[in-house]
Amino acid sequence: MRRLPILTAAVLAALSLSAHAAKVGDPAPDFTAADSHGQTHKLSEYRGKYVVLEWTNNGCPYTRKHYNSGNMQNLQKEWTGKGVVWLTVLSSSPGAQGYMTASDENAYIAKVHADPTAALLDPTGTLGHEYDARTTPDMYVIDPNGKLIYAGAIDDHPNDDPSDIPHSKNYVSAALTEAMAGQPVQVSYTRPYGCSVKYQGAD
Amino acid sequence: MPRLLRRSPLLALLSLALLVLMPEHRAKAEPSFSVTAPHLTVSLLVPPAEIYPGQTFTAGLDFRLEQGWHVYWINAGDSGEPPAITWKLPSGITAGAMQFPPPKRLPLGPLMDFGYENEVVFPIPMRVAADFHPSQPEATLAAHITWLVCRAVCIPGKADLALTRSALATAPASPTSDSTAQSLIARFQAQLPKPLPSSDTAIFSSTPKSFLLNVTGTKNASAQFFPLDETVIANAAPQPPVATSKGVQLTLTKDENLQAPPQKLNGLLELADGTAYEIHATPGIIAAATTNTAPSGGSSGFLGAAGLAFIGGILLNLMPCVFPVLFIKGLALVQSSQHERHRLRAHGWVYTLGILVSFWVVVAVLIVLRAAGRQLGWGFQFQSPTFLALMAMLLFFLGLALAGQFEIGLSLTSAGGSLAQKQGYAGSFFTGVLAMVVATPCTAPFMGAAIGYALAHSAWVSFAVFSALALGLALPYLALSYFPGWARVLPKPGAWMEVLKQAVSIPIFATVIWLVWVFTQLAGTTALMGLLAAFLLLAIAGWFLGRWPGKAGATTMAVVFLSGAIATPIWSVRTFGVPPQPVSAQSAPGSQLPAPGSAWEPFTPTLLAQSRAQGKPVFVDFTASWCLSCQVNERLILRRADVEQRLRDSGAVLLRADWTNQDPDITQTLAALGRSGVPTYALYPADPSAPAHVLPEVLTPGIVLDALAALPKPQQQTAAAGTE
Repeated sequence: MRRLPILTAAVLAALSLSAHAAKVGDPAPDFTAADSHGQTHKLSEYRGKYVVLEWTNNGCPYTRKHYNSGNMQNLQKEWTGKGVVWLTVLSSSPGAQGYMTASDENAYIAKVHADPTAALLDPTGTLGHEYDARTTPDMYVIDPNGKLIYAGAIDDHPNDDPSDIPHSKNYVSAALTEAMAGQPVQVSYTRPYGCSVKYQGAD
Repeated sequence: MPRLLRRSPLLALLSLALLVLMPEHRAKAEPSFSVTAPHLTVSLLVPPAEIYPGQTFTAGLDFRLEQGWHVYWINAGDSGEPPAITWKLPSGITAGAMQFPPPKRLPLGPLMDFGYENEVVFPIPMRVAADFHPSQPEATLAAHITWLVCRAVCIPGKADLALTRSALATAPASPTSDSTAQSLIARFQAQLPKPLPSSDTAIFSSTPKSFLLNVTGTKNASAQFFPLDETVIANAAPQPPVATSKGVQLTLTKDENLQAPPQKLNGLLELADGTAYEIHATPGIIAAATTNTAPSGGSSGFLGAAGLAFIGGILLNLMPCVFPVLFIKGLALVQSSQHERHRLRAHGWVYTLGILVSFWVVVAVLIVLRAAGRQLGWGFQFQSPTFLALMAMLLFFLGLALAGQFEIGLSLTSAGGSLAQKQGYAGSFFTGVLAMVVATPCTAPFMGAAIGYALAHSAWVSFAVFSALALGLALPYLALSYFPGWARVLPKPGAWMEVLKQAVSIPIFATVIWLVWVFTQLAGTTALMGLLAAFLLLAIAGWFLGRWPGKAGATTMAVVFLSGAIATPIWSVRTFGVPPQPVSAQSAPGSQLPAPGSAWEPFTPTLLAQSRAQGKPVFVDFTASWCLSCQVNERLILRRADVEQRLRDSGAVLLRADWTNQDPDITQTLAALGRSGVPTYALYPADPSAPAHVLPEVLTPGIVLDALAALPKPQQQTAAAGTE
């Protein structure tokens, strides 16, 4: 019994060692994942374009803050309109909050008028662990060379109150704007905020 | 709706009742001090019954949670959000910041949150102004509360709470208060982190992957660190604690994306008994102190360390790495025997000075580099291929001179005359420097603890302890120079001295071979070509000096070749030298056991922590290929059939920490043991809270076997091990 927390710690250590967390400034880990239409997306095929990864869970109040207000949809429309590949990632395990089948997700996207390039289904959490995604939302921006240039929160108001959105600094838009202008990204890493990603085995 | 209501008074009444019963509306109509929301009840606690001018008291925000649900600490960890409070207070009453008791680690799969389960009260200091003038007989203290409560899912919540208290214009004769609320707040107030006592220190050092946090005054083998700053450490990583003689030391894994080292490491240190300290650790050299071997603080610790260093210095004369220098010293002794007694003494002191000065220089460099944040220990200079190349060249050139290719100041035949006298003193000084340099890779018995102590304390302590070490090293020769009897024992100077001089070149060349071997492991075979070419250039320079002694042209040529010789290996190390990282156990064959039956694994701090967490003891051999006493111990003791067998049977995990190259993890692990150099042998019991047993630097089979036998016997799971 006394050993239990120690063992847990050891298992966690092993897990954290095996996870190749994405590091800002390094090449973003490549991945292959299927979207809600059954199409396969490979990160390396998007070389030459900016890629945004958005972890989502439509039951999470923090994700809802940005979808119910229309903020996330506006960002998706704005940046895909400028040629950015926007990939929404669902890492909730089956049975957990935010888990969606392909058809459910397509219906949800239509209902909330979301406009990502694709919604990647990651029920095993493989992609989530590869990027060490912690919360929903958790945002990643990858430049045309495949380098990770931003990781962290969507904006600087870590709460679930939509009335804060108008006066929030959106870190994703800032990173994309700066990088596209050839400038260094001022804020390249923040603590992501929101609900924990509902990974398999996370109870 | 109005029409509907007019038509049906009953329906109107019903909807009115519904409106009244709906919690939000009830809250709006008459704010309560307590609200039950999904999965929790939140209450405002204001113990005093009266509010009056000049009063201070502690209010509280109480969360009672359903089983399994939690709210968050001020730094929520990987996800979540702490509760927040916004007060609406009558003028004259002010509220301080919400205070957060120490949280619990809440693991969620690969993530780690910090928060509270069951119940938590956040104390809030309140103050009533001295000029508080109640306009009404009652004061209403209202607050808007927001929170996030999570289990598998997260639910944000908010509530408006309020309570009223009598408002008085002057302090009452006998104030009354709600003792239940007061004691509840007091219970959590007692848990609040305390400032670290001023007599204690919190410092941290930085490695590429982790921080080492050292806090004194809290001697404890079990502690947890909760970071106040986000994105500084990896929240989910385990924090292996080590008890030190004066406190506790934690290894904190850095946040993968940490951009710049923090100025301070801010957070809470919570001990096993629940005591918590607020820590604002500053960067510094981690004080090495261990529970068993290193002398602890105080003047007795200092005198002990200095005494041990002195004895260690004397014994250093007998260690294998000093062996070649003993020949040089013997040579110097013979040379000195020709002189008057006062000259002998002078030579003894100059030799001592040579040792002292060279120790001081190395210690000064070491202290400066460590202050700059480098993880270095004793013998660090042997981790530099350039230094090794220069050492090898120096000894090779010396060997050439001794073998008779040319004459240098050390020459026996040029005795007498003022210039030769000066050269004689320079020679004695140089012999002292050489003795120190060659002695460094051998950490003799008693020296490990003393050096560890010295480097963990202030600069003057370091200098004092190393001076004691230097004096110990110099003492045998110095004593001989004062001993009149010994000179008569030696034969009269003659041809035999030339023979001895040439013979001395043999161990010198042997030392060169050893240095070249170490150099090759550090810098690779391509860089080795540069060093070998340098030897050729040295030989040519020596030929010029020997063939045309004293001729200006020849000396110039010799200097040219010498310069080339020095430049070549430096250039080849820069150009072809392998980067230091990949050198580990597999590329250091000299420090590895033969493959069959070898159970040694390369050391990592994680492997050490994991093995102990799995209930296995761990034996760590801290070694380096430039450390001769390490090689001797490994070959003669650790590879002995019976010792090997017992190591295998003990169930201990065998780790080899190869410190041939710089390795911050190994340096820190050594520091945690109170050591700063190799050889070090440590036996870690399976219980992570138990201190490691550090074995002496000179091993015997008995020492190893006794240490293994002294291990607490954990699960005797293997029936096959019943042979003993």
